[in-house]
Amino acid sequence: MRRFLAHRTGTAGAVVLAVAALVALVAPLLIPAEALDVTRVTAPAWQPPGARQWLGTDHTGRSVALLMAQGAGTSLFVGLTAAVLAVGIGTLVGIVSGHFGGLLSGALLRVTDFFLVLPALVLAIALSTVLPRGLGTIVLAIGLTSWPSTARVVRAQTLTIEARPFVERARALGGGHGHVIGRHVLPSVVPLVLVNATLAVASAIVAESTLAFLGLGDPTRISWGAMLHQAQLHGAVPRAAWWFLLPPGLAIVVVVLAFTLVGRALEAVVTPKR
Amino acid sequence: MSAGLQLNNLTVHYGHKRVVDDVTLAVAPGQTLGLAGESGSGKSTVAMSVLRLLPGTARVDGEVLLDGEDVRTMSWGRLRAVRWASASIVFQGAMHSLNPVRRVGEQIAEPMRLHGTEGSVAALLEQVELPRDKARAYPHELSGGQKQRVMIAMALACRPRLVIADEPTTALDVIVQAQVLAVLTRLVAEQDLGLLMISHDLSVLAATCDELAVMHQGRLVERGRARQVVADPRHPHTAALTAAFPVIGDPAHRWAEPAVPAEPLLRVRDLTVDYGRTRAVDGVDLEVGRGEIVALVGQSGSGKTTLARAIMGLRRPSSGRVIFDGAEVPRSGRALKAFRRQVQLVLQDPASALNPRHTVFDAVAEGLRVHGLRGDEEALVTAAVERAELRPANLYLEALPHELSGGQQQRVVIAGALVLGPRLLVADEPVASLDASVRGEVVALLLRLRRELGLASLLITHDLGLAWQIADRVAVMHQGKIVEQGSVEQVLLTPSHDYTRALVRAVPALGPGV
Repeated sequence: MRRFLAHRTGTAGAVVLAVAALVALVAPLLIPAEALDVTRVTAPAWQPPGARQWLGTDHTGRSVALLMAQGAGTSLFVGLTAAVLAVGIGTLVGIVSGHFGGLLSGALLRVTDFFLVLPALVLAIALSTVLPRGLGTIVLAIGLTSWPSTARVVRAQTLTIEARPFVERARALGGGHGHVIGRHVLPSVVPLVLVNATLAVASAIVAESTLAFLGLGDPTRISWGAMLHQAQLHGAVPRAAWWFLLPPGLAIVVVVLAFTLVGRALEAVVTPKR
Repeated sequence: MSAGLQLNNLTVHYGHKRVVDDVTLAVAPGQTLGLAGESGSGKSTVAMSVLRLLPGTARVDGEVLLDGEDVRTMSWGRLRAVRWASASIVFQGAMHSLNPVRRVGEQIAEPMRLHGTEGSVAALLEQVELPRDKARAYPHELSGGQKQRVMIAMALACRPRLVIADEPTTALDVIVQAQVLAVLTRLVAEQDLGLLMISHDLSVLAATCDELAVMHQGRLVERGRARQVVADPRHPHTAALTAAFPVIGDPAHRWAEPAVPAEPLLRVRDLTVDYGRTRAVDGVDLEVGRGEIVALVGQSGSGKTTLARAIMGLRRPSSGRVIFDGAEVPRSGRALKAFRRQVQLVLQDPASALNPRHTVFDAVAEGLRVHGLRGDEEALVTAAVERAELRPANLYLEALPHELSGGQQQRVVIAGALVLGPRLLVADEPVASLDASVRGEVVALLLRLRRELGLASLLITHDLGLAWQIADRVAVMHQGKIVEQGSVEQVLLTPSHDYTRALVRAVPALGPGV
């Protein structure tokens, strides 16, 4: 913990993430439903930032600041769950193919390669058009397309650990597959997986925004990507309504950067010095 | 100032740590000096300081005179000219010091090109007794001994006056070691070179060098004619080092008590193991009696480690049988697991045989947990750790492997094996990676376990001295076959097979009258 705090950039990233998470958790409780209901808002549309509307209003008169706060939750939720799904699949495939070898490993690796060469975005788009629209679909689409790199890294680490004499010693003691994986491989892989997870969250948030921007998101929810989609759809550019475009874009950049910084710092902390 | 190397009051600090403390040495052309010491004694630091190869964090005081010129104050350009042309180094571990993607001929030629020296690679290869066409080979196509000769050829490329050899034969087995040492000795005599040879192995130094200097904790503790230092060590540390290299045939170095012939515990019958098309173990018959210590000796690549793996059930044999305590060893399932309680493995390098994330307690308790022996875990672990002579146990239980010394780590590995109450210990080079002074203690521990617990051991080693020290019987393995086996005295003193004779002859002699 203290060693993590020694990384200034990592600490800065962690602070940004804490603020974002707080906003995402608190906003839905504080914001009254009518403020975000297009039929009940009172403010005029396309209003530039001012004293009443800090970040102006959108094409229906809703406050951009409130939309931002509301959208944070969706973006972070999709980012986190999709990353957990991707890293989970990746770790499982990586360890199994690294530990068992043989035919099973070959089959798993070919599947990994298949997902690796497919353009992830195209696959995600295809998945989210076929499956029913909703948050779950987006998570699934992102999760299913971003696990192969984790699988590769985890497999490589598994192979190096398995070649170490202490694994042979564990086998000679009578340890089976479960023992070797649980006591030796998994603990050595976990730090790597954690680092990978933070980086995966960052790319999952970008992926979610991309899908939402393309209009493939959950239409009933507000997210930063969906806001960009609305802004583009309703002509924020010709109206020069920068207050509707910039905040969600910047928010995505800042949060993604924060995750990357935290990931880097974690990597430096957990890598054992030998 | 005379030619050659002269170190005056050399002192090296890393931060506040003094690694080399006031060392004064001289090597003139034609002279050979051996520098002995354990790991961490500062001997390699001395070698690196000669060509100013130490990292920038090192503070070097004193004088390092090379042909009368102080290396410490040379300009960068002058230093580059002096490196390799005046003095060169044969680095430790030839396998890692050669670039794997370039032909060895190009690598030998590299210093000549950099220094604009005339000369031919073919002539250099001839000097080290390698065929000319090996210049076109890549490092992986050469054996360990051939690679080490390439390193020597490289060191001679610019005709230096001084060659520093840092553990030149450590990773090689006895026969190849003898060949490489012969090449080195002949070249030094022919070309009137100064040789500074560094090793932890006194017998190697005594066989090649006229003079011997012994380092301990950064200081020179003894210096003199090689034969005399070895025969009559004055400093206790030198005595400890000489004691660690037992003289074959000397009853004082035979620690094992005469054993009564016992009924067999482990019997191997006509065992064959293949790796693809290579036959690693070829029809081996071997027996280990109850409470007996059997040494399995042979060069690297002779198949002795594969045989051990097959006995442990870690490697599936192609044919043949392994019979333990009257019953055939099962190849899988619950029965194999039960067998593994009886037979335990001790590996060569204790540092890598312990998971760096596990405490001593976890490492020792691992076997108990694997076999679901809940019982009183703490008491069992404590007993095993004390049995392995880590006393008092509670000082060590919470330590992580990197906080322990090599000898302590090996004791933890042994404790991890003992905790299951095995009847046979398969030890693969159990002392090869340990320092000389620790080596004797671990050897004594193995003997005591035999005496107190009736523990039988199969000792896999390339070190004939170790076999002489503690084994009851010796089996010699060559190209997958056991070529000779019998009592220690019979095999090592009156070998009957040609290969055993070659092996015994290649052991560097140490001590008086040789």
